[in-house]
Amino acid sequence: MVFTRSNLAKASLGPVVGLVLIALMHSAAIPAYQAYSVALAAVYAIVVLSVGLLAGWSGVWSVGHPAFFAVGAYFAAYGSGHQWPLELAILGAVASSGLLGAFLGYAGARFSVLYIALLTLAFSLVSLEVINRWTSVTGGDQGVVVSQLDSALGLGSIPSGGSEAQYLAVLAAGVVFAIAVFAKSTALRMRLVAAKAHPLVARSVGIAPEAQTALSFAVSAAFTGFAGVLLGLITGFVSPDTFSLNLGVTIIAACVFGGVGSVVGAVVGGVYLAWAPTVADAVSVPQPVVQGVLLITVLIFLPGGVVPFVGALSRRSLRMRGPRVVDGEHHVSAAPADSGDGASAAPATDRPATADRAPLLVVDGLSVRFGGLNALEGASLAVRPGEVLAIIGPNGAGKTTLVNVVSGLIGGARISGAVDYAGAKLTGTRATARRRLGIGRTFQHAEIFSELTVVENVLCTRRRVSVADRTQADELLARTGLADVADRYPAELPFGLQKRLDLARAMAEEPKLLIMDEPFGGLDATERRLTAQQIVRLRAQGTAVVIIDHVLDDLFAVADRVVAFDFGKPIGSGDPGAILQDPQVRSSYLGSIATRAELPARGDDTVAIAVRDVGHHYGGVAALHGVDLDIGKGAVIGVVGANGAGKSTLGRIIHGSLRPSSGQVRVGEHYGRPFRGSLVPEGRALFKTLSLRENLEVAGYAAGIRGSDLRARLDETAEWLPERLRGRLSVAAAGLSGGEQQILAVARALMARPDVLILDEPALGLAPALVDEVYARINQLARDGMTIVLLEQLLSRALTSCHQVVVLHEGRVAARGEASDPSFAESAELAYFGGEAASLLNTRDVSELEA
Amino acid sequence: MSGPRGVTVEVDQLLLVLVSGVASGAIYGLMGLGLVIIYRATDVVNFAITSLATLGLYVAITFRDDGVAMVVSVIAAIAVTALAGVIVREAVIRPLGQGQLFSALVVTMGVSLIAESVVNSVWGTQPRTFPSLVNGTVRWGDAALPAQSLLTIGIAAVAMAAVAFLFSRTTLGSAMRAVAESADTAKIIGINAQRVARIAWALGLALAALAACLYAPRSGLAPTVLAAPLFRAFAGIFLGGLTSMYGAVIGGLTVGVLENIAASYVSASFRDTFVFSFTVLVLLIRPQGLFGTRTFQRV
Repeated sequence: MVFTRSNLAKASLGPVVGLVLIALMHSAAIPAYQAYSVALAAVYAIVVLSVGLLAGWSGVWSVGHPAFFAVGAYFAAYGSGHQWPLELAILGAVASSGLLGAFLGYAGARFSVLYIALLTLAFSLVSLEVINRWTSVTGGDQGVVVSQLDSALGLGSIPSGGSEAQYLAVLAAGVVFAIAVFAKSTALRMRLVAAKAHPLVARSVGIAPEAQTALSFAVSAAFTGFAGVLLGLITGFVSPDTFSLNLGVTIIAACVFGGVGSVVGAVVGGVYLAWAPTVADAVSVPQPVVQGVLLITVLIFLPGGVVPFVGALSRRSLRMRGPRVVDGEHHVSAAPADSGDGASAAPATDRPATADRAPLLVVDGLSVRFGGLNALEGASLAVRPGEVLAIIGPNGAGKTTLVNVVSGLIGGARISGAVDYAGAKLTGTRATARRRLGIGRTFQHAEIFSELTVVENVLCTRRRVSVADRTQADELLARTGLADVADRYPAELPFGLQKRLDLARAMAEEPKLLIMDEPFGGLDATERRLTAQQIVRLRAQGTAVVIIDHVLDDLFAVADRVVAFDFGKPIGSGDPGAILQDPQVRSSYLGSIATRAELPARGDDTVAIAVRDVGHHYGGVAALHGVDLDIGKGAVIGVVGANGAGKSTLGRIIHGSLRPSSGQVRVGEHYGRPFRGSLVPEGRALFKTLSLRENLEVAGYAAGIRGSDLRARLDETAEWLPERLRGRLSVAAAGLSGGEQQILAVARALMARPDVLILDEPALGLAPALVDEVYARINQLARDGMTIVLLEQLLSRALTSCHQVVVLHEGRVAARGEASDPSFAESAELAYFGGEAASLLNTRDVSELEA
Repeated sequence: MSGPRGVTVEVDQLLLVLVSGVASGAIYGLMGLGLVIIYRATDVVNFAITSLATLGLYVAITFRDDGVAMVVSVIAAIAVTALAGVIVREAVIRPLGQGQLFSALVVTMGVSLIAESVVNSVWGTQPRTFPSLVNGTVRWGDAALPAQSLLTIGIAAVAMAAVAFLFSRTTLGSAMRAVAESADTAKIIGINAQRVARIAWALGLALAALAACLYAPRSGLAPTVLAAPLFRAFAGIFLGGLTSMYGAVIGGLTVGVLENIAASYVSASFRDTFVFSFTVLVLLIRPQGLFGTRTFQRV
């Protein structure tokens, strides 16, 4: 908990407003009948705050809080009947609610949100039954009277229903709010939110989600119990109707209305609960209708709730003059707020001598099996401090599996082999503990905690936040060019800055080993240069860096050594300049198929689908730029590129299931109707729980075919299937092998009788013999006159099985030509690895980056 | 209670409890089935399912008061409820967009508040009786089993069989299962997800309305009368696994039988305590429910 000037001021607002209200009530500026409503609103606000912060910070929605509320109220009643002092009643209520809450939180931590809702619902129902039966304490459905509670600490006597009780409630609410404001700046809250938003990533920064749920539930329940005592005091009478399940629903409504996880939102929610009946009367509409309509309206139009919406509005208007927030495209102003040392980062020639240092990370004979799939088979490598190791390889080579094993983020796999870190065994160490050992990790899609500000994303890696930590975090943000946006939420930032934040979070505790998953992916040239600078600086500090990426030229510019992976093991290693000369490495990307498939001669020059100047971006990440492509009738067109080059995006745009952000797709006509396209998605995407027949049937149904037509089409398509599948039509698709699934996926696409068939990496994850079978079938379709768009990772395969090949590199068409043209192959290879840049690889040096 | 005579009485008593438990369970199972069908197709936990069914019940009783045959009134109730469901889904759930698990749940809570209030103001809160489709008892050995319970079991069984047929034997059913398995892939191959969603909502609410018409003769009719069976149907689907239709039915039946046993042999006041404690205990051992798949989501 840090007491800064700003949160002291904010926190004191609670008690101050409380005192002002009390003064107004005391001077009768607020009339007596309203004073009761004010006190009631204060009590409800505490409950709404308890439920709302639990939901907002821990992601746990409780409908069981009426039960804790009841515990408090009956403690007040029982205490007043047995001459307990006020403090004892409060203590009893807080302690028993807290214990019950801890139990529920502990039991519920392993459940998903809906199951916790059921658990708390059950708890509510059970407590209602207990209340109704335990008449000696609760008076059953007759209720019980609260007379008065005397303070043991000399605060006087609080008669129920009087002004003193109302003052107490209002003041207590003020204090509770002050506590909530302080809690908001603690590391505990940041860690709760982080664990809620992204449990897996939270582990990678050292946060364990489970233990925190029990604690936060206990605290939330305790505050609600306290509010229950206050309720008993201000109403003077307690009966079970108050604590019905309806109250649970209404409290959730109030939370959502005000804004989940917002302290001010809870006040709004409390006020709404206390006055909703009055408002409903005023407009002479039944209260539930008012509540229901408000709830639905807020959720549809202001999904975050009223207070966050107003907050965002005012922040936006305040920022009109501030630095421009770039949304959509991610053009960052060229000069980041670098604090000087960026420019003087160690030049490449002054690399620390690493060869003589002992390796920090040693992977030896590592094998990872997922079910029947071998993701890694006997992989070995070593990294020394101050060394940047790049791991390259085609999709499915096992790169991500390897880094996940090192960061401990792998589940449900059988792992064998050794991973040693700093001389000790790493396998078996929990993911949360690896952060403390000095292993940092960044993520391909910049998995940052969206509900925390930029600076909080960096701070949440610590258990407690000291002033020194804050200073250190500010320095880190300055160094990474994020100082200007320290208090912003990640969603307001362009993707490039989000990735910088991901890196900053990984660097926060100066890791000895940093693992980076595609740090360059989705970034523009400026951002890539900045990232490269950070990596160079880390190396100069002696950090060992392991990078996997597909953007080879940037990768090679910073790497000391490159290891190429394929089929789950290293197939070669060497200097960045030399690795691509290795024939085995080359063929893992490009393939090595020599015999050209026999393709039909093309006579018709009708264009089936024309793509014109198409660009696309997902959020702030650009995937395609200005792509032009004519798909001629009867042609087989190969679209080739490394992973992330934009193939699948282009495929879906051609198919029509994705609308491009810019440009257009023109679909030609023949036989008086437009060309029909069918897509075979990457990874097959069959409905695994459906049988083979049902998979085909559903596709026919989707194409609008019914009844006997559908049966006829089904029989026709089944004829196309190989014999071994035709006999198993009623087996679930999950039971097929990969190759069989691929053939079924093609058959499913054929159910719509397409004119154009788009195949997204049909060979992915298949054994070579099966690949040949799948391609033979695709070739047969082409010879039967089908127009085919083949999205391929292997250049050679596209060259041997297509008429025309288009090479995509980072979302742009880098080369195109006739596949039969021998001179095209070479230029296509260059384009595949990055156009002009690839030819420079041998001469290029890191010092160019620093220029 | 000693001697052969006492044992027979006890056996008869147990038979009665079991039949009445299975009848209650069949009702919870039908409601659960409706909830699961909607949840699988649209990712919405529909809290309003019984409030809308209550609306249907009042429509049925109004028809009945006008002299329409009971069977026709029940069909009217089912049709009105299904229609109301489709309207709710189009008007307030669809604008929320995909994947809003929690918002959608809260919106249906809002719908439920409104529907109950509308029922209140149109028909009043005075409890009424709801006629049975059949009266009298059926003798089986020495036990006299209420005909309404047996009919309830029969109708529910037919309805469940029809649902099973729809999902396992028809193309529409395959399409609905396809959407439930992967909405993304369903979209790529061109299944009209909105149409499937509307059908799922109509079907889910029709089942809930049917369940309500079978439940109301025993409980009488009041605006909030379906709250208790809704909670037990929830217990049933959590027990069975949120995504499994078989689970919904078996879970509902288990809850119904347990509840009746608890009410008869433990204490009528603690029937929910018994049912929910059992459910929570099972979930602690098997968090995904008896038949559910392990796909957890935290919001």
